[in-house]
Amino acid sequence: MVNYYYDGTFDGLLTSVYESYYGIEPPDKILRCKNLQQSILDKDIDIVTDSEKASKVYEAIHKKISYDALRNVYHAYLSELDEIDTYIYQYLRFGFKKGKSVDLYLTSEEVLKVHSAAKKVRTESHLMLGLLRFRKLNGGLYYAPYSPVYNITALISDHFVRRLSDQFWIIHDTKRNLAAVYNMVECVLTDLPEELQHQSLNTDDCFEDLWKKYFDSICIKDRINPKLQKRNMPARYWKYLVEKQ
Amino acid sequence: MELQKKLEILSAAAKYDVSCSSSGSNRKNTKGGLGNATSCGICHSWADDGRCISLLKILFSNYCVYDCAYCVNRSSNDVPRAAFTPQEVADLTINFYRRNYIEGLFLSSAVTKNANHTMELLYESIRLLREEYKFNGYIHVKAIPGADLALIEATGKLVDRMSVNIELPSEKGLKLLAPQKEKQAILKPMNFISSKIAEKKDEIKVFKKAPLFVPGGQSTQLIVGATKDHDMNILKLSENLYKKYNLKRVYYSAYVPVSKNPLLPDLKTPPLLREHRLYQADWLLRFYGFSADELLDERNPDFDPQLDPKANWAVNNISLFPVEVNRADYEMLLRVPGIGVRSAKKIIMARKVKSLCFEDLKKLGVVLKRARFFITCKGKYFFNYNMEQLLIRQNLINGWETDEKKQEWEQISILSLIPEKPTLQDKLMSITGEI
Repeated sequence: MVNYYYDGTFDGLLTSVYESYYGIEPPDKILRCKNLQQSILDKDIDIVTDSEKASKVYEAIHKKISYDALRNVYHAYLSELDEIDTYIYQYLRFGFKKGKSVDLYLTSEEVLKVHSAAKKVRTESHLMLGLLRFRKLNGGLYYAPYSPVYNITALISDHFVRRLSDQFWIIHDTKRNLAAVYNMVECVLTDLPEELQHQSLNTDDCFEDLWKKYFDSICIKDRINPKLQKRNMPARYWKYLVEKQ
Repeated sequence: MELQKKLEILSAAAKYDVSCSSSGSNRKNTKGGLGNATSCGICHSWADDGRCISLLKILFSNYCVYDCAYCVNRSSNDVPRAAFTPQEVADLTINFYRRNYIEGLFLSSAVTKNANHTMELLYESIRLLREEYKFNGYIHVKAIPGADLALIEATGKLVDRMSVNIELPSEKGLKLLAPQKEKQAILKPMNFISSKIAEKKDEIKVFKKAPLFVPGGQSTQLIVGATKDHDMNILKLSENLYKKYNLKRVYYSAYVPVSKNPLLPDLKTPPLLREHRLYQADWLLRFYGFSADELLDERNPDFDPQLDPKANWAVNNISLFPVEVNRADYEMLLRVPGIGVRSAKKIIMARKVKSLCFEDLKKLGVVLKRARFFITCKGKYFFNYNMEQLLIRQNLINGWETDEKKQEWEQISILSLIPEKPTLQDKLMSITGEI
């Protein structure tokens, strides 16, 4: 088995695809980090990320397959699911063969895997547009900690740039320590410095209390249905919801 | 009165209005402004009753001059009363919005003093939000029946969605439970709004920057179970509303018993299943190409509680089935139980490159548990038995697997052919002839 290892960036993944065509040997698997258990039958190749090669692949996907395929690949990449990199690779191989009709092969394994991973990412990012909660800190900064299952910070930040364009805010993925910081001019993705990571959130914000009161009084008591509530709003997201504290 | 107390009273008073969606409008943010609308709509939370919270849903005031029997805010009801000021409404909206709690505002009101006065108050709150606070988020407002049309038009220019609630599906019900209201008064603003929306649509074709008028369309609400109306009456009414007034949505609200009145049915729990069936049928009208006449008729004026409307239709029209998945057109695929809009589209796509078998359908998200009775794949029928109406019906209700376990027909053994010895009772019966 030939394994490619890349650094976990999207460019790295695209470089791996490039190498699979022009390098020494096409891989059986593409992986993000080294397996601790190595088999003597495996041949490991480290891929050095090269932005030029990556952009060639990027352009090729756009032109030879479709823009949708590019979107699917990027979203599937953000899912960080097991083996997804290998499936993306197979999807692209298949795609370069079939052209833009690749997304019609809804029943073939490699297409199905990439589509379902991409869909999971899109579903969660849409849900998060609603479930993200900004806490107003004493300095007037709006700070939104959350821990999504998939790496969606880059996907959702644009929405808030458009929407909350006249306030300073930070969206902080506490699981990956990745933050989108907005200063009313531009939004940057970065990791938060240590001292900012442990914000004391005990602000006495009266609107948080008002929101909790509203949340309770809008419910019709004759129709209580916790199962439906949990189906729509999985409990794993409750940790950062003001109304569920 | 404290703001918190007001919010509690006036949100509790608004909760029986089920409309919550924030879709249909894609109002852009302005320079230096706050907020925008997303055309697909966004839910921000789900209350303990499982219903989504998308908008800050409040009444401006619950001091009402009307005394409608079904309504919690009727003037004769002994509930705490309160009224916001436009400033308070704006403050709440803006601050909730900045924390991403809500998608916008849903503002309704009880009729205080008279319709015009109420509509003016609503207009003023929304004007304040849009003009002073430069708020571009979603706003849904109620048009108060009886208010001046000029006032309704001015409000319509500022909001994303407007609605007039019909509440009671028939004029008879209206006379009985809300004698102060008239059907014509309710339909008049609806008619006005829909004609204005159509007008604006034409205008936008010519001038791209023509000012908006209710870009999210209008909606209404019908109460289910407070009157004796059949499902058929309700569904036909909705069908008409969709056709005639081009409504975006009709909401159905299971009647929650809020008062003891001899004119009202004595319900222990709200008729949630009935509400659910109506929503299913409503979807069939809007997205599946069904008409109300196909789903219900004079002989069956109510939905079957055991079977969803689409499956019920399919069983009653079994002669149209089975359909071949690889050849059927989109409209027919949509009519197969277990195939929805999404999976029908996927089938159309996938069969362009490959003829589909049952395994493939599972991957496309078809619910084979229901669909298998009605389809063939490459000419093969999946269900092992005859296409018999009753058998399929039973299987749809109980599920095939469970049925197999408690099989009703047993293996015939030689012993079962020997008749049982007649009991004493049998002998007596044979003498007296009484069964």
